[in-house]
Amino acid sequence: MKKNFRDMRPVYVVGIGLHRYQRLSETPYVTLGLTAVREALADAAVEWRSVESAYTGTALIGMAASRPMLRHLGATGIPMAQVENASASGSTAFRQACIDVASGLTDVSLAVGVDKPGPVAMAPGKTRMRDLVGSRVVPFTHFALLTQEYMTRYGGSAEQIALVAVKNNRNGANNPYSQRQKAVTLDEVMAGPAISGTLTRLQCCPVGEGAAAVIVASDDAITQLGIDRNRAVKVIASVTRTERVYRDAKNFDAELTRETVEQAYREAGVAPGDLDLIELHDAFTIEELLYVEAMGLCTTGKAAGAIAAGDFDIGGRCAVSASGGLLAMGHPIGPTGAGQIVEITRQLRGEAGVRQQPNAKTGLAHMVGVGAVCVVHILRKDV
Amino acid sequence: MPNRKAVHAELYSPGAADQPVLNGGQCRACGYVFFPPQRYGCESCGAPPERLEAVELRGRGRLHSYATVHLYQGKDIVAPFTVGLIVLDDGPAIRSMLTERTDAGFAIGDRMASVLVAAGTDPEGNEMVELRFARAGAGQ
Repeated sequence: MKKNFRDMRPVYVVGIGLHRYQRLSETPYVTLGLTAVREALADAAVEWRSVESAYTGTALIGMAASRPMLRHLGATGIPMAQVENASASGSTAFRQACIDVASGLTDVSLAVGVDKPGPVAMAPGKTRMRDLVGSRVVPFTHFALLTQEYMTRYGGSAEQIALVAVKNNRNGANNPYSQRQKAVTLDEVMAGPAISGTLTRLQCCPVGEGAAAVIVASDDAITQLGIDRNRAVKVIASVTRTERVYRDAKNFDAELTRETVEQAYREAGVAPGDLDLIELHDAFTIEELLYVEAMGLCTTGKAAGAIAAGDFDIGGRCAVSASGGLLAMGHPIGPTGAGQIVEITRQLRGEAGVRQQPNAKTGLAHMVGVGAVCVVHILRKDV
Repeated sequence: MPNRKAVHAELYSPGAADQPVLNGGQCRACGYVFFPPQRYGCESCGAPPERLEAVELRGRGRLHSYATVHLYQGKDIVAPFTVGLIVLDDGPAIRSMLTERTDAGFAIGDRMASVLVAAGTDPEGNEMVELRFARAGAGQ
């Protein structure tokens, strides 16, 4: 009989690690990845030889990234594979590690995201189905079109939408792993170079390099390896979906997120009001408004007011992008989704320092990627 | 249209009375109308290529959104230029270049019509044309 994620064995995040997200440098991807993995192993107080499978979320480095990196922890012979799922590569690597543990195939698994910017071959460009605009429309213009539509339909102003960048850069300024670590004013956001439509530079995420690592474990492993159960965070939903044909809806991005999140809520048995924090795909400011509405955190068209009222600030009813999000922490592609799990785990443990969302018990991670794909996880800290 | 060639002849045709049409597709199994054209299979119902037929989509529709692109790294045109999301009267929502360089004066809901605009010459000296959308005249 078909099972959903929660019908299988419980899965816990027991170790988290990052290499700072930053502009492209001479640092080899091996160093980026190993830094994050070693930090995660130390955080879990688990030795590498206890890890039984590894998934590397990466989209830009090239073929066969895993073993040339991970062998330097000791070549233990464990199964390894790369996971490419566009911007959701790290999220999907995390899901695969969770499935290994949930199914009982392993007791301890690793998801690591690592990437460096570079030339990449995009398969959609090889379908021989070109459209009228081709490369004249890139993601920032896709989202500029959604921004204009949102402002016209719901009466929001360009400044209200830009407030997302102010909030998320404020959070990112307090995150030592962020690519952008500087608080910015609304005037600075609005005055920045115009990119497309009303989107300015600071309303578009930086794409740099970095790494994020997450170690997941079973109940048995926590007991046998003596892992600190008080710092373990349970994964209570793992859902991924792809875009359908939405005949009446013009906003496919919002529809895909709505469907995926609703399934995650059902599997986890949680409601939008239960969420204390969310890390979502805020590659462009408008996305935060579209997705918090699609997730049911406020009614459609009301996100701008909720953001202005501080609902999604740290200390508000649900902190959105406490890490700084893609807009400030950055979007190095492969690491991004795994990095969201790192932040949610840190928050649910109560270890986020000045970025701490008070009394955070339940968090949701959301990524979308070209294709289009959507990956959602819900994590909970049992008290 | 002697000596005028479409930059992407697979996507649009001059049409009658200088009203260029878009080369779309329709699924004979479920009726789904789509653009751009493809011969792989129906995205809506999965019908095989032999159930897909070419259909001409009228270059008429309504402006659903627009954005002036300020940053563009391609060499074929110079920013700024303006892109529109247009819901065609025949169904599909498409993205197209608009004839104006900026979005000043456009409003969501505007009636739009396809036009062919000059896009340089090819090595044989043929005048190249590219399909864009402009605000429709009265009655369109």
